[in-house]
Amino acid sequence: MADWTVALLMMIAYLVIALIIGIWAGKGRGGSLNEYVVAGGGLGLFVMWFLMGGAVFSAFSFLGAPGWAYSKGAPAYYIIVYTAFAILPWYIIGPKIKKIGQKFDLYTISGFYKGRYQTKALPVIVGLLAVFAFIQYLTTQMKGMAYIFEIMTAGHIPFWLGALLAYGIVVVYVATGGLRAAAWSDVFQGILMIVISWVVGIAVVMQLHGGSSNMFASIMQNHPGFLEIGHEGSNMSGIGYTTTILVSIFGFMMWPHLFSKSYATKGITIKRTVLAYPIFALFLIPLLFIGFAAIGVVDYGTLDSPDQILPYLVTSVLQMPGWIYGLIGAGALAAAMSSADAITHSASLEFTNGVVHNIWPSLSDQRTLVIMRIAVIVIGAFAYFLTVFGSEGLIALLLGAYGSIVQFAPGVYSALYWRRATPSAVISGLIVGTVVNYYYQLVADSTPMDINAGILGLMANLIVLIGVSYATKPQEDKVVSEYVDAN
Amino acid sequence: MSRQAFQWLFVILMILCLLPLIFPIYEVANQGTPIIVGLPFGFFWVILWIVIAFVIAVILYLVDPDNKNREE
Repeated sequence: MADWTVALLMMIAYLVIALIIGIWAGKGRGGSLNEYVVAGGGLGLFVMWFLMGGAVFSAFSFLGAPGWAYSKGAPAYYIIVYTAFAILPWYIIGPKIKKIGQKFDLYTISGFYKGRYQTKALPVIVGLLAVFAFIQYLTTQMKGMAYIFEIMTAGHIPFWLGALLAYGIVVVYVATGGLRAAAWSDVFQGILMIVISWVVGIAVVMQLHGGSSNMFASIMQNHPGFLEIGHEGSNMSGIGYTTTILVSIFGFMMWPHLFSKSYATKGITIKRTVLAYPIFALFLIPLLFIGFAAIGVVDYGTLDSPDQILPYLVTSVLQMPGWIYGLIGAGALAAAMSSADAITHSASLEFTNGVVHNIWPSLSDQRTLVIMRIAVIVIGAFAYFLTVFGSEGLIALLLGAYGSIVQFAPGVYSALYWRRATPSAVISGLIVGTVVNYYYQLVADSTPMDINAGILGLMANLIVLIGVSYATKPQEDKVVSEYVDAN
Repeated sequence: MSRQAFQWLFVILMILCLLPLIFPIYEVANQGTPIIVGLPFGFFWVILWIVIAFVIAVILYLVDPDNKNREE
């Protein structure tokens, strides 16, 4: 049997197993609205680790981390730094959000905003921005899956079909099983990914360089400055690096699929999940090694995109047997799917709860569930079309949406800790921040001092939020106290 | 220790662990040599601070007054 056939069979086997686990986990739990959105509020620590870990082990880390190490060098450390630190604020805010969520029966970030700021406009804006950002994020994951299918099967599964296959499965099990399905398939996918990245990482370094010290010594000799940041020969400035880390740390917990995990988890489980994260960050080390190992072995310009470096090394440089590529393909699919399912699930919730519920307030639970499931299919379809036919302009537009997620942070932190924040201030801050972020992402050629566009938006957002808050009438004490004094 | 004091302590200690990894402080480790345990110095430094942050976070978790006072 040809290598690509073996690889293809293994990847199909993986997809079938993931589907069975997804459907099995969602079965027999009555399909109620509550079960669908928060898995009845009772996810255990083990599942939670992987549910949150799955968010980090996305196609971006599995393909993007080696790609960054290969093409940019030391700035790729940022991936490890942000993974370790980005979840830490959750230790403090998670249990508080959980209490508030319980009191008001919340399950989305739009709902959280509405509860404190008491306006319908805010959840609609937040819901739309979230869905917009999610579609872009989903597109990244689908591209990753499609690359894997295409390269691992030597082009026998074309790009469009690969994306369609993997996404079909995500839609099926998110639409049937809800959060619990996503959680259990994440456990399976997380374990697969961790094992694969270590095995491949070590194999690649030993086989190509005989050890990591040799590898790094030769990189330093041939590419001076490549393992430094902001010096001559480096690919990123110090300010660019620092603000990229900061935007990830402020923005990470604002991703609605992570934010809403606060509601489905006990306070103590939140804290234990946070503790595990620095360890998750260390799991990413071999992925950077894979990218560093390719330097000097694969010439720059050989690939269409540095993100293809991992599958390219495995199939074309190392000449590994077909079953190994099958396994790696499955790991990469696992990475992409564990993020894709969580994103899709959450996008459907934000859309229904933030946008639909506030425009048509008296919707029955049954109808809500139907709308959520339709939203899963429609949002997936958007992402699919962007993946396959996406023009540059559209993708660039959606990249701006990604940066806009961090603009949720000032409103959320104010909701929790700042009594004086007013609804109109939060709305204007959010809008100004998003516009500034878009401007620097899409219109301007560069940003002042190379500061990340998301951080520039955040600064504008904060200034407007504070200024307008003091210029407007404070909120009623009773409403504010439900949030600020929750504990 | 009151809950509020604990939360401040947590925030401050975690920020102190992050600062060495971002500029300007990262500059002290911003180099490839020496190679330590197979890692360039800058990379080793990143891992070192993550491990320190992990150990501190675990200790903080153990003294967290919230976890002692009530089981949820």
